[in-house]
Amino acid sequence: MRPILLQGHERSITQIKYNREGDLLFSVAKDPVANAWYSVNGERLGTYNGHTGAVWCVDADWDTKNVLTGSADNSCRLWDCETGKQLALLETSSAVRTCGFDFSGNIIMFSTDKQMGYQCFLNYFDLRDPQQIEDNQPYLSVPCNESKITSAVWGPLGEFVIAGHENGEINQYSAKSGEILKAAKEHTKQINDIQTSVDLTMLISASKDCTAKMFDSTNLEHIKTFKTERPVNSAAISFSHVVMGGGQEAMEVTTTSTRIGKFEARFFHAAYEEEFGRVKGHFGPINCVAFHPDGKSYSSGGEDGYVRIHYFDPQYFDFELEA
Amino acid sequence: MEYDDGEEPSFSDPEDFVDDSDQELLGDVLRDKPQEADGIDSVVVVDNVPQVGPERLEKLKNVIQKIFSKFGKITNDFYPIADGKTKGPVLLAKEKKNVVIVWEAPEKQPFKDFGNLRHWLEDPDCRDQYSVIYDSGERTGIFANDVKEPIEVEERARWTETYVRWSPKGTYLATFHQRGIALWGGEKFKQIQRFSHQGVQLIDFSPCERYVVTFSPLMDTKDDPQAIIIWDVLTGQKKRGFHCESSAHWPIFKWSPDGKFFARMTQDTLSIYETPSMGLLDKKSLRINGIKDFSWSPGDNIIAFWVPEDKDIPARVTLMQLPSRNEIRVRNLFNVVDCKLHWQKNGDYLCVKVDRTPKGTQGVVTNFEIFRMREKQVPVDVVEMKESIIAFAWEPNGSKFAVLHGESPRINVSFYHVKNNGKIDLIKMFDKQQANSIFWSPQGQFLVLAGLRSMNGALAFVDTSDCTMMNIAEHYMASDVEWDPTGRYVVTSVSWWSHKVDNAFWLWTFQGRLLQKTNKERFCQLLWRPRPPSLLTQEQIKLIKKDLKKYSKIFEQKDRLSQSKASKELVDKRRSMMEDYRKYRERTFDMYNEQKPLRLELRGGVDTDELDSNVDDWEEETIEFFINEEIIPIGDL
Repeated sequence: MRPILLQGHERSITQIKYNREGDLLFSVAKDPVANAWYSVNGERLGTYNGHTGAVWCVDADWDTKNVLTGSADNSCRLWDCETGKQLALLETSSAVRTCGFDFSGNIIMFSTDKQMGYQCFLNYFDLRDPQQIEDNQPYLSVPCNESKITSAVWGPLGEFVIAGHENGEINQYSAKSGEILKAAKEHTKQINDIQTSVDLTMLISASKDCTAKMFDSTNLEHIKTFKTERPVNSAAISFSHVVMGGGQEAMEVTTTSTRIGKFEARFFHAAYEEEFGRVKGHFGPINCVAFHPDGKSYSSGGEDGYVRIHYFDPQYFDFELEA
Repeated sequence: MEYDDGEEPSFSDPEDFVDDSDQELLGDVLRDKPQEADGIDSVVVVDNVPQVGPERLEKLKNVIQKIFSKFGKITNDFYPIADGKTKGPVLLAKEKKNVVIVWEAPEKQPFKDFGNLRHWLEDPDCRDQYSVIYDSGERTGIFANDVKEPIEVEERARWTETYVRWSPKGTYLATFHQRGIALWGGEKFKQIQRFSHQGVQLIDFSPCERYVVTFSPLMDTKDDPQAIIIWDVLTGQKKRGFHCESSAHWPIFKWSPDGKFFARMTQDTLSIYETPSMGLLDKKSLRINGIKDFSWSPGDNIIAFWVPEDKDIPARVTLMQLPSRNEIRVRNLFNVVDCKLHWQKNGDYLCVKVDRTPKGTQGVVTNFEIFRMREKQVPVDVVEMKESIIAFAWEPNGSKFAVLHGESPRINVSFYHVKNNGKIDLIKMFDKQQANSIFWSPQGQFLVLAGLRSMNGALAFVDTSDCTMMNIAEHYMASDVEWDPTGRYVVTSVSWWSHKVDNAFWLWTFQGRLLQKTNKERFCQLLWRPRPPSLLTQEQIKLIKKDLKKYSKIFEQKDRLSQSKASKELVDKRRSMMEDYRKYRERTFDMYNEQKPLRLELRGGVDTDELDSNVDDWEEETIEFFINEEIIPIGDL
């Protein structure tokens, strides 16, 4: 089946995310507008207007009531998903790089970049306490002195946030005390993306070191490694398959392959760690990939500003590596 | 002994490794020599002085004085003493402007056993080896070429500081270090030899592997030439040092195929030296006015050189037999701009590529002058080329050559056959090629046309027996192409030295079928290990070719077994990986179930464990899909 092409952004895509049920796909990019799309046919539900700079991250709560975005305009904003109304504006001292709702939808976290003299911080707000929002006072703010956070997701029960750092480390930060509960030092270069499996028990990390790794969310046990020859910008996991997208960001590159369609999403068998397929189509590096929660389709957002939604052919499900 | 300009003494500098494993070179000693003081014009260093105790020192001194005062008045002397005995060279200062270093004879070294230096040839599966430098030079590995995947034989960090080289017959691996060159070999790649040459940059081997030549820009002094040093590989001795004006065209010294001679060209001069004496052949260099380039036949002791036009005398190419120095052929050339010499691998043919500007024209045209070396009086045939030449290459072991000509984007490749009947036929021409280099298989017949670097790695695999394209492929941004010594495999690679991403090497069959891709972090260089020439005679090889069917059956069976073994191995591996994964999932599933109450609580009692767990909450929605657009004109209004 042909992919659905979503053209809603002027600049390169920074993140895409499905809501829990998968009927909506959110996309943010280096332009200030966040979009929500119907994943079934690519029709746009609406936009979230307010940011004044690149938007780095987006998340929706489990009930698809609220949407959260973080931007280079030094703010993290909360929106009503259906109406697009901005519900809260949390200003920061530096760009907001990651953000997300916890399992209950009551607690939000976001991290800020290390820039202009400001540290990287991991901030926690409880949405049930309006005072925190009003005063722009997180109930917990964890400084990250050594290596800044580049990607983060919530743990399965809202007890901790799992963050990936510029130096390749992955740490669990308690949502109560901020202390590091567990740490994994498996990657050798920056973590570009972390995503969880649908049931939140596993996570997959995409790194500049040209690998993606699967970990157990609860104890950060390193389970699998998927190797490529290019830096991995994003990875997602669904049941027994892993999809990865990569290349380099256009800025980092002087002479690289910009031939048409060369940028591919690669599919790996989760248990065998073997690649079994590739899907071409993007005109530049793929910055973000995401599986639909039902595993029957996936989406990719590229440096070219396009989001592509792909529904798998029946053969994809019949495919089994000989074992 | 005296050393005057123009006279080349044939002395062998004895080796010495004083005290510890550091092999101090003569150069180091020279630096330590006493400075010339007023009134003292030179120092003589005397070796092989017997070690005597203090009671016989006086007598020794008298003997030395007597011998050396013959050469000049001795003004001072120094007898080094260690442990109560004379040890090391004796220094005499005398009135003559010469310096000679003679060194103490060393103790007999114990025989070092490096094992079988040809061990790699005994691999039962005939896997060739290759060296790989990666991690931007930090790591060097030796691999055996197995069709399934490379087998690591040896791998070391910082084995070399820049790059590596194999010796011509594959016996040694040479590595570069600030202090000199090291040679490694044998099954375990032990260090076989070290040559101390501070700041060494370039290296060359004699074809027989008996000698190695090193170049360093640092070491040269006016009195003691050290820029280029020739070493004896087996003994580690420095045989001779030379000055070097410019290392731009390395190797400066070119070897005859049998290793008996080596030669170099300087202004108007061709100097030919003999081994093992390291002295000039017939004690003098050849004066050849205007000599621009020379090279040895790879098959015989014949040198080809050319000189440009000189007033009324046309340019000419000369073939000279060594050691007789007979000119066996001279060929005059007119209106020559430049010449390049291309020998066929066995020395059967010499191609001189001549760029000329014919009288009355302004453009440059190219001719190939083909010298048939095996025929009486070396007849020469001319092939005229209409376009500019990009690349030329002889078929090794054969009588064909390939030419890339034209100008981007219209590049063509032509294949010629030098026939016995005196004709040179153009067999075939392909146009519109994306190629800037030609790589023949070392066994001939097959070649790869490659568009390296700026041409993005376009590859064409050609069988020249009928000039067909077997396969057209691509290795994007490939910077190098290397055939294995048997001509069965080709490696294309993207070196970190030329392109900072996608550093990898790919293995192809000679027919252009891609077998493997190996990514190596910051991969720099891959070099196949050469093989020594076959020990079989031509007759024996013919016999084997005749019985090839019989041998093929045995090998095919072996391959099938090996492949099914690989499949089985892979299947087993997958099974065990799946089993591990399943067990892990089971463990997490148990915990997941235990946590269900917590999840319900966090979401206000709503069960979201399955996507369809709350069917009642679902809304039915009708969505329109855009299928098609059709414009139907309503006729003329």
